[in-house]
Amino acid sequence: MVVCEKPDAARRVAEALSEGSPSITLTGGVQSYSFARKGERYVVCAAQGHLYDVSDPFAERVVYPVFDVEWFPHDLVEKEAAVASRRIAAIKALAKGATRFVNACDFDAEGETIGFNVLRYGCGGAEGSALRVRFSTLTREELKEAFDRAESSTRDALASAGRARHVIDFVWGVNLSRALSQSALGAGQRYRTVSIGRVQGPTLGFLVSREVEIRTFVSRPFWAVHAEFEKERTRFSAGYSVERIYTRAEVEKIEGDCSGCEGQVEAVKRSVLSQPPPPPFNIGDLQKEAYRHFRLPPNRTMQAAERLYLDALISYPRTNSQKLPRSINYRRILQAVGSMQEYSIAGDLLNGDLKPVEGDKDDPAHPAIYPTGERPGSPLGSSEARVYDLIVRRFIAAFAPSARREAVAVTIAVDGHQFRLGSRNTLEEGWLRYYGRYAERVQAEMPALREGDRLKLVSIQHEDKFEPRPQRYNQGSLLEKMEKENIGTKATRAEIISTLVARGYVGGESLTASDLGMSVIEVMKRHAPSVLSTGLTRDVEEKLERVGNGTEDVKELIRDTIRTISRQLDELNANEGVVGRDLSSAALATGSDQDVLGACPVCKSGKLRVIRSRKTHKRFVGCTNYSKGCRASAPLPQRGAIKPANKACRTCSWPIVYVRRGRFPWRLCVNPKCPAKEAKKNAL
Amino acid sequence: MRCRLCEREASAGLCQYHEDAKRAVERAYQLWKDAYGTLGWNEYLGMVIRNPETGQWAVEVARLMRSPHES
Repeated sequence: MVVCEKPDAARRVAEALSEGSPSITLTGGVQSYSFARKGERYVVCAAQGHLYDVSDPFAERVVYPVFDVEWFPHDLVEKEAAVASRRIAAIKALAKGATRFVNACDFDAEGETIGFNVLRYGCGGAEGSALRVRFSTLTREELKEAFDRAESSTRDALASAGRARHVIDFVWGVNLSRALSQSALGAGQRYRTVSIGRVQGPTLGFLVSREVEIRTFVSRPFWAVHAEFEKERTRFSAGYSVERIYTRAEVEKIEGDCSGCEGQVEAVKRSVLSQPPPPPFNIGDLQKEAYRHFRLPPNRTMQAAERLYLDALISYPRTNSQKLPRSINYRRILQAVGSMQEYSIAGDLLNGDLKPVEGDKDDPAHPAIYPTGERPGSPLGSSEARVYDLIVRRFIAAFAPSARREAVAVTIAVDGHQFRLGSRNTLEEGWLRYYGRYAERVQAEMPALREGDRLKLVSIQHEDKFEPRPQRYNQGSLLEKMEKENIGTKATRAEIISTLVARGYVGGESLTASDLGMSVIEVMKRHAPSVLSTGLTRDVEEKLERVGNGTEDVKELIRDTIRTISRQLDELNANEGVVGRDLSSAALATGSDQDVLGACPVCKSGKLRVIRSRKTHKRFVGCTNYSKGCRASAPLPQRGAIKPANKACRTCSWPIVYVRRGRFPWRLCVNPKCPAKEAKKNAL
Repeated sequence: MRCRLCEREASAGLCQYHEDAKRAVERAYQLWKDAYGTLGWNEYLGMVIRNPETGQWAVEVARLMRSPHES
């Protein structure tokens, strides 16, 4: 019995091993494949990602601390994962007749964990005796070879690391999140989940720090000076040798000194730069590049890459490696992709010796991402098509020669001051040609100048400028920051960013920390600062890696984690009242309270929010500055869900809300005396 | 005690964030004075408030500092 990680992978394995004719059986609605191979009967079944998940036996969201955890069928932990139990039942039924088991899940920590759990809990404890197959693509040839080389399972350490990661992340997240949620509830807020995770905390910390930097930023003025020169009726501009001049007096001096003078070319420096191709993609580089070119969020790139892998079009994408081993057969792949019309250019590389450029990063389990050379069976979805094109072009470019660029730097002297201009030209395209539209081409023209040339100074101008405020992270640069800080893994980083967005902690294309996100970080900084420490998160990450290598004791790591969490929980518990008050007041102050509709147009400093009358239990709009005398209020529809539109009415500046009752929501300005409403009434 | 500019807790008039912004506004004054030669405090605050690069909290603090009551 062969256990695969996903149904599509099971189909591919069955088709490869059976030479295309497996029979399909339905067990409780779950497909499996059976066939004969080399005198043995095979049954191939699939998990669907994680069929088992860690949870606490109490299943009560208010109980904490929770340190006794168990593995449960996934749908008992996540209600929406309803298929897990059905699939587990099918696997158990199929396993009854099996004499040998093969773990054919993805060859990494997550795959080991999925396979280990299915074999242990679904196949009667077969995890120790099962064979392991290792492959990086789902092509027929590689799958057949992998099964011919199946080895006894030697990667218990990796499964142990994968399982430990789930336990640690659960213990970390559930305890701290419950402590925060309970504190907020105790302070009189309605129950709401305030979650914080092991990697989520430091990542949100980066975003909040940047937001604070931006909001407290005071720029510094500076000036940029340019001179316009003329040579043989050709005019061109050159910048002053110091790009930022911080005093107006200095600008005036430069302008005064240069006025009426002529320029002389002092130096012309030419250099030729050789620029090698970028290394083939690992998953992080692919996600960053896909974001840069297509604005595709990292999790969408991951999904697209996984789809392409399951369609046997690319190799396994969850890899850190930037290396391509010779064993993948460079020539065969280049020939195969070159036979596709859009990549026919690859054929030009087949004449020479094939040696790809490689990066420093390596991954013991998988090579860098490469195309298998198989043609897509059907038209690819938009994201998949773009990611595929990027991968193929990057792969081809890795075999191409370096690009050669010429840089020219000219210095022009004017009465003791220096001005500079430069140009860059591509002499030989090299790999740029193969990477196509994804390659950055720099082309800056300038007139032909020689040392000693005398130039007419036509004019000299300055521009008033201000230092720009720091940039917010986008999904690509945040991913890069996480990689640099070594928090999260190649497989989880994209998901963590998506979780922060889903929780409402950040939003927008440039990731802006929301007020709620800021409140959570404020509270954690005050009462459990270690949780935000990148050092601590990185330390756990490194220890997990060592568990995977078999050089760290997993039990000791889990004990350590529990000790750390306990200390933080003690601190939070000791300050439960203050934490709750901080969360409530921060939520109210910053508008992260979901009931806040927008700014009060009457007092200008308060916020209008939905309030429920204690007497009548009816809801209405009131101002948070009521106690300071603001009497702004308005009635609200008593039925239907009310959601702020985060916009103010153009006529009266009161907030706009969406009211949903039935299928379609309607927009409403909450001001009953809005002149626009009056005008509409009169028009009718 | 609440911050004069938002509802966050404050020990001396301003919350930690607005206090940081205030320090940034004060620190930058010398740089702006050096840059322009002469620059009055209120004129400086006006320029900081109008500057699109200035952060939201720094603008709020600058407005507060510019009010006649504060100066």
